[in-house]
Amino acid sequence: MRPGWVLRLLAFCGYALLLAPVIVVAIISFSAGDFLTFPPPGFSTRWYEALFANGQLMAALQRSAILASVVAVIALLAGMPAAYAIARLRFPGRDAIAMLIAAPLLLPTLVLGLALLLALQPLKLAATWPGLVLAHSMVALPFAVRIMTTAFGAVPKEVEEAAWTLGATPARAALRITLPIAAPGAAAAGALCFLVSFDETVISLFLVGPRLSTLPVEMFRYVETRTDPLVAALAMALIGVALAVVLLVERLVGFNRALGRG
Amino acid sequence: MNAALLLLPAVLILAAGFLYPVALLGRISLNRTSDIGAMEPDLTLATFEKVVGDDFTWELAWNTATLAAGSALAATALALPVVLLIRAAPPRWRGLLSLMAIAPLLVSGTARIVGWLAILGDQGLINAALEGLGLATEPLRLINNLTGVRIGLTESLMPYACLVLIAGLGRLDPRLEEAAATLGATRTKTFLRVTLPLAAPALLAAFLLTFVLGVSAFITPRLMGGGRVFVIATEIFDLALETVDWPAAAALAMLLLGALAVALVLRTALTRSARA
Amino acid sequence: MTHLRLEGLTRRFPGAAHPAVDGVSLQLPKGALLALLGPSGCGKTTTLRMIAGLEVPDGGRVLVAGQDVTALPPHRRNMGVVFQSYALFPHMTAAANVAFGLEMRGIGRAERRARVDEALALVGLSDLALRKPRQLSGGQQQRVALARALAIRPDLLLLDEPLSALDAKLREGVRDEIRALQQRVGATTVFVTHDQTEALAMADLVAVMNEGRVEQLGAPEEVFERPATRFVATFVGRAARLPGKVEGPGVVRCGEVALRFSPSPVHGGGPGWGDAAGTTVELFIRPHHIRPLVEGQPADNVLDAQVLRRTFTGDVVALECATPAGTLLAELHGGTRGASAAVGSRLRLGFAAQDVRVFPA
Repeated sequence: MRPGWVLRLLAFCGYALLLAPVIVVAIISFSAGDFLTFPPPGFSTRWYEALFANGQLMAALQRSAILASVVAVIALLAGMPAAYAIARLRFPGRDAIAMLIAAPLLLPTLVLGLALLLALQPLKLAATWPGLVLAHSMVALPFAVRIMTTAFGAVPKEVEEAAWTLGATPARAALRITLPIAAPGAAAAGALCFLVSFDETVISLFLVGPRLSTLPVEMFRYVETRTDPLVAALAMALIGVALAVVLLVERLVGFNRALGRG
Repeated sequence: MNAALLLLPAVLILAAGFLYPVALLGRISLNRTSDIGAMEPDLTLATFEKVVGDDFTWELAWNTATLAAGSALAATALALPVVLLIRAAPPRWRGLLSLMAIAPLLVSGTARIVGWLAILGDQGLINAALEGLGLATEPLRLINNLTGVRIGLTESLMPYACLVLIAGLGRLDPRLEEAAATLGATRTKTFLRVTLPLAAPALLAAFLLTFVLGVSAFITPRLMGGGRVFVIATEIFDLALETVDWPAAAALAMLLLGALAVALVLRTALTRSARA
Repeated sequence: MTHLRLEGLTRRFPGAAHPAVDGVSLQLPKGALLALLGPSGCGKTTTLRMIAGLEVPDGGRVLVAGQDVTALPPHRRNMGVVFQSYALFPHMTAAANVAFGLEMRGIGRAERRARVDEALALVGLSDLALRKPRQLSGGQQQRVALARALAIRPDLLLLDEPLSALDAKLREGVRDEIRALQQRVGATTVFVTHDQTEALAMADLVAVMNEGRVEQLGAPEEVFERPATRFVATFVGRAARLPGKVEGPGVVRCGEVALRFSPSPVHGGGPGWGDAAGTTVELFIRPHHIRPLVEGQPADNVLDAQVLRRTFTGDVVALECATPAGTLLAELHGGTRGASAAVGSRLRLGFAAQDVRVFPA
């Protein structure tokens, strides 16, 4: 049935609410004004120039990119074997393990951040790279495992069995046959884990220090104190990364499947 | 292949980064804070008593619950037409439309708040429009207060509501509505008598999920509230990092977890009874 | 010389009421093709998977060339398997698919190349060696799967419903090709199918399976002409089924008439069983064993019949006829006598005592 005009209008309102902030940020990042005035008094790239000239923010951007890359690699390296076990092997406690791995998603990030602070501070790991990497890997891991479980599950069992009958040991068949077939899933999982870490704000707020801060934390603090279009330019950097990841994930495995809950 | 070996790295990360910290959080909530503000190891419910006995905690809880309920309701209500449109759209548009509804989930919350500041601020889009139309001489206060938090939270919860509704309504056969139409029902009647009752379980699930997420939201209340809106999450943050009263922060966090657990159990029970 | 030997092979799936495979024993000579024939759920695929090592039996043994392989994992068995879905590696070219098994055996690059070329030539796909599976048609994919299984020079070739994913038109040609290829390379082969035509056309030996058991093991003609059990008689080929009661040795009463049959050494009731008067039985008569008689022509059994229905299927005319013994089905070749009989016309039908199969009802 074709949607009626009432539905179209309401849906348009819904989309407007969903997309307005991103669109407005994109426009205002090119503002020539000194404040978050909309419509902008004029257009320029001065705030992007200011952003690139801002040593503290650029350092944070670099740090976040490195952190997110490391986290993506760790989450994949730890998540793929676990996902393979969950998707392919039968062992006691399989459902319990799958639930445990998904559990961090059920807890508010605020509580996770607090818990990590309480645990890492006495170990002198708060405000350190290892602490941040551990915290971010823990939040990224459920995403990696979920996507890879689906990806491995989608590889027909018979293809792996065919490899066994041709003389491949189970480990070799998993590495040579199943993993390459699931490679698009792995790329999507890596991209998503990168983004989860790159965007992670709340947990990081608990774990960063004066000399080790990430881009989202810097941006959070900036918004808390000042409001000029520089922060819009900064937001565009994060939106750009998110957009790239969204398109990549959509292309590789389909977005709904990656994030869907059922 | 050995399942235990394959699971080991993931389990190690979870043990060190999740299980141990959360267990420690529970443990620390049983400690005491001395008069000079230092944490003293103990096994007491004194901190819980102090937190629960404080009227401010209950005020925060009420603020948090009403804020979350209002925003969750608004997010679910606004997500419904979006998802109904996605469902009715021709297949080649469906992917793009659902991508547009869900993708904001992946855009940093802070970045979206910058957008809201530019829309709702004193010199923002709304106030500029109102002034231009001669409808207001004074700027409407839409940020740094509860209104701003409500709007921002509604928007940040909407993608989740869409996700749940897409999954829930995707299973409904669109021919049911066509059947109602062939039987002479108007669009409104079809919606009220067929679509809405069938969508009810999904709507309930969407509301409960967004409510739970709204209760624990931190960034939006903090930034859109301009430090003037207080909820449980902001209080936990301040206790941990400003006051540095770890036992109190831990106790409040444990109470929040307890409340969320109750909500989760309720949700499971409700969705199960809705399905039965 | 026995090449494959199954001894009491049994598999129970957790939670299932009956074993999927229940004490299957059989022997297959070197170079022969065995068809495991049966309806879906009869345990034929599970049996094949146990031979391949993909399923672990709960009891029994698998012996290949006298060696017990029951405890060996699939990768140490050297069996070429063609799966129902072909299970080609989608990320590898046809040549790489065929080379995979050789690579796993540590065969050097030069020999690997030669053997891949040889295997692809064998199935006539040399030109398509560098295509990926999705660039190949269903029939071509199937041949790659066959080449991949043969390239490792397997001790056994195992085919799981290899024709079921093909168009009906292709099936017959591919069937004959597989049989010719199998005979050329002399591969001892086990072939799973639910299609009796396939089984009868290709196999040296047919094992008819039902509910996890082998009902009959024999040459195609034997299984078809002398079904050992009622199930085999029903499942393989078609037959008119008439209820009856034994009157004496070799005589059974069906409705108003007495019919003669020659008791054979194999039938469902055990030796000598059909002699006991009063036993309730069921008679099976194959449509092609029934022929129209001219006036005065003798036969062991003669029945007056009236044509109820006539179905023309091209080369064969099927006549459904009412007789005093019950409804009979006769299949006559076009142009032969009686084939042009119209509905309602009367015929005399005859069939030999040895073509009547009698089973306990």
